[in-house]
Amino acid sequence: MTDPDDLLPEGLQDRLPAEAARMTAAMRGALDVLDSHGYDRVRPPLVEFEQSLAGRMDGVRPRRMFRFVDPASLRTLALRSDMTPQVGRIAATRLAAAPRPLRLSYAGEVVTISADQLDPSRQRLQLGAELVGSDGAEAVGEVVAVALEALAAAGARGISIDFTMPDLVDTLAAEALPVPADRIEAIRRELDMKDAGALREAGGEGYVPLLYAAGDFDEAIARVAALDEGGVLESRIAGLRRAAERVPAGVRCTLDPTERHGFEYQSWFGFTLYAVGARGSVGRGGTYCIRGSEERATGFSLYLDALPAADAGEAPREALFLPLGHDREVAARLRAIGWRTVAALAEGEDARALGCSHRLEGSEAVAVEA
Amino acid sequence: MATPLTFAIPKGRILDEALPVMERAGVVPERAFHDKGNRSLTFATTREDLRLIRVRAFDVATFVAHGAAQAGIVGSDVIEEFDYSDLYAPVDLDIGHCRLSLAAPADVPEAGAGASHMRVATKYPNLTRRWFERQGIQAECVKLNGAMEIAPALGLARRIVDLVSTGRTLAENGLEERDVIMQVSARLIVNRAALKTDPRVGELVERFRAIASGPEGA
Repeated sequence: MTDPDDLLPEGLQDRLPAEAARMTAAMRGALDVLDSHGYDRVRPPLVEFEQSLAGRMDGVRPRRMFRFVDPASLRTLALRSDMTPQVGRIAATRLAAAPRPLRLSYAGEVVTISADQLDPSRQRLQLGAELVGSDGAEAVGEVVAVALEALAAAGARGISIDFTMPDLVDTLAAEALPVPADRIEAIRRELDMKDAGALREAGGEGYVPLLYAAGDFDEAIARVAALDEGGVLESRIAGLRRAAERVPAGVRCTLDPTERHGFEYQSWFGFTLYAVGARGSVGRGGTYCIRGSEERATGFSLYLDALPAADAGEAPREALFLPLGHDREVAARLRAIGWRTVAALAEGEDARALGCSHRLEGSEAVAVEA
Repeated sequence: MATPLTFAIPKGRILDEALPVMERAGVVPERAFHDKGNRSLTFATTREDLRLIRVRAFDVATFVAHGAAQAGIVGSDVIEEFDYSDLYAPVDLDIGHCRLSLAAPADVPEAGAGASHMRVATKYPNLTRRWFERQGIQAECVKLNGAMEIAPALGLARRIVDLVSTGRTLAENGLEERDVIMQVSARLIVNRAALKTDPRVGELVERFRAIASGPEGA
């Protein structure tokens, strides 16, 4: 029987070899893509001052972080729940003098103190890239293209991308469709629920057509454009169209102009990534402002644990069993050309049971009988 | 795509009214569905790529929020109670009307008359707590799954929050309706990720929308 103390707390889990290998491969594939596009990797720490994590971007919720008092400084520390504010801090401080645009990538574990309603996990592997210094259409196009390429390299299949306009309501409320300030929150909420009836009740009659302007990108953007009589959205619509051009064939592209789920700090542009077999989204990104330096940036994050496990039908990896007293130089040579070796420690070990497909005999790799 | 869509519908109150609406949207269950003796939980429909599941109202929301079912029909009371972030309620079907109300025996004083704490029996603890919070009252909710009306008489809680349609059940149990917390009607709900990734879900929404906004019987 397992001692209850050996169980892990809710929302935390061990990744055993098969899964760990899959995640490592996904991470390596995605990081290689980011590197090839000129994004330099940074490694911020796990723990920081709460204030620096919370203050760097709008909408970061410190209550979702594990927090405690630092015995050294007596200030409140927090475990990171999102690496984007950390990269923002690096860009605003240590790399403030670096030439712009600045391209940074990162990968690491993030934790939250409470799971969300639908996903019990409290630790996730976040991987992403930030393009600091620009939030224009060109930057957005690059980030969309790189994000999709990285996600595909991480092994995701059946990818679809959903664009959104996070500051749409604020932009429209300012002039084109004025609403009382105390109504904006209710209107946002009902837009988010896509509930036309409640939206009308909340005084958002003018916003109802936006609910119908969601769906496949080309149709949806045309409907948004048709609504935009005063032209306040003109530059945004053009920017979205240019971003959509960067979406490769085979990736479904949709637009939902009023989606705000998970876009706490994004400004004019945001997107969510989905993949077949993954419950919920596998990543998101968009444009935002780094507080402190007030610098514009565009970026994205992928959550690799959300990707489904590879097919069970996948062939097990080949490995070469090295018996006692084998020729070490031969073994080193075979490793150099890509073999994975497992060396015997004692007589009588079973190559097959140790997961080996081959056995070294002299200088030859011989297949092990099943 | 080979995988069928799953459409969740609640047992009970809403079902009879929902069937004609579903039919107009092209969601027609197989005959076994109407057979009272049939204990199945899953039913085929006239559409090959669509099946129905019949579960409790609260479970409709849970199945859809988790993406185990892509769409469903449920009362707005249930949607508000869970407040799931991955649930859209795009169409008010204008059926299953009732209201969620606070009720109490006649001798219980009005809520808010100096009270900062009270005990309420309800099937909707989250909704109830949030509503009382807005009145500046900390409500201690006793979760019941049915027959709330007998709670005050037995001293479990002096107030209840429950669905009311005619008010007869309340009256028969010596209760008065005090405040309407929300008006309830049945909604079409869909899973957020399914709507974004599966065009069939969007089509389903469009069809229900057309019915809800069109003239009666069209």
